[in-house]
Amino acid sequence: MSLAELPTEDLAAMLAACGRGERSALKRIFDTEGGRLIALAERILRRRDLAEEVVQDAFIRIWTSARQFDGSRGSARGWIYAIVRNRALNVLRDGRREDTVEEDRLEALREDEQMEHILSAWQALDRNSRLHDCLGALDEKKRSGILLAYVGGYTHGEIAGRLKLPLGTTKSWIRRGLSALRECMA
Amino acid sequence: MRLDNTTAPEIADEYVLGLLDPAEQQAVEQEADKNPTLRTAIAASRERYLPLDLTVEPAAVPAGLWGQIEAGLADGDTAVPLGGATLAPEAALTPAANDNRRFGWRAAALSSMAASLVLAVALTWSLGRQADPVVIAVLLNEAGEVQAVVEDFGNDTAEIRLLADIRVPEDKAVEVWTLPSQEMGPVSLGLLEDGRSSRLEAPPLPLPAASQLYEITLEDAGGSPTGRPTGPVLAKGFAQPPR
Repeated sequence: MSLAELPTEDLAAMLAACGRGERSALKRIFDTEGGRLIALAERILRRRDLAEEVVQDAFIRIWTSARQFDGSRGSARGWIYAIVRNRALNVLRDGRREDTVEEDRLEALREDEQMEHILSAWQALDRNSRLHDCLGALDEKKRSGILLAYVGGYTHGEIAGRLKLPLGTTKSWIRRGLSALRECMA
Repeated sequence: MRLDNTTAPEIADEYVLGLLDPAEQQAVEQEADKNPTLRTAIAASRERYLPLDLTVEPAAVPAGLWGQIEAGLADGDTAVPLGGATLAPEAALTPAANDNRRFGWRAAALSSMAASLVLAVALTWSLGRQADPVVIAVLLNEAGEVQAVVEDFGNDTAEIRLLADIRVPEDKAVEVWTLPSQEMGPVSLGLLEDGRSSRLEAPPLPLPAASQLYEITLEDAGGSPTGRPTGPVLAKGFAQPPR
């Protein structure tokens, strides 16, 4: 796991400066978080070009909405990452990821690699973290369902397909997994 | 969507994981604007899963990307008459809002149907009133729907009448603004108690003029901490003298 270069209090201060119209603060956020945000969007979208577009839009949104960031309601990093995640998910749901036409077999191969990539995010977590332990305490299918959704941006239907479970079962497994994780981390 | 202390964390998780369909997602965002329990649950859920986002290996940042972002900021700074004008140019909508919102005001302003409806409402409403206002402004939201009418009597009183239900979270208030001139900048006419229509005693101001901008924003309870609009714009419109 790569550690954040800027402590979250500094990010909050940068957001406040953005709210006052200081472009250098936005640049500072971009310099410290940009690379990871592109990679985050790419993990969801599987396309670098779309990921860069998403990050570009997200930074304009961060600039225009910075005054709405409220530190009492969560961390600056959580707020910034949520903006990028939301935009990436919107692009994904618009179906733009599917624009690339690939041969079925190649697509299937990539799909397996992608699953591995997504599920490995759990192993990449800090081993001493609560999230690592609590995800580890779930059955494999619940854990996979949660990771495919959060890390890969998969829908209920896509997860059901990958895990070879009926849709209704998938939904209730994920719901139970989320609930168990909340309890474990409380 | 039913929400209480038990369902809010569940809905927040599904929202943060991106598992809701677009209609549900939008409903959650609207609800979160006024429901502190849900807002807190969403923030908690984001923090819970954020470490997974930090597991990515940072990508190489392309050289031109910052320049493109900066160019985008410049565009945003340019005020468009009517459609784009606002007293709080930096105020924007919630992070998760969709792409079209930025251009919503322009679309609203261009809608002639909305405009004629608005005039009809304003005229009917102002008939038979005793004191004549110097100007009347009909305030529209982004979707072009009538939200409120402001009558400015020019003697430092203004009356604002809400024509739509405006949801005001507990710790927030609706503040009414006008822009007497570019030099003066935006001036607060006062706060609406509990989001209800009221008559406001404003500070002494120059006589209101045609095309003067009026706007309502959502601010912290007690009013904007800076004395200038800081919150999201709920509705706005340009005044005209009645004839």
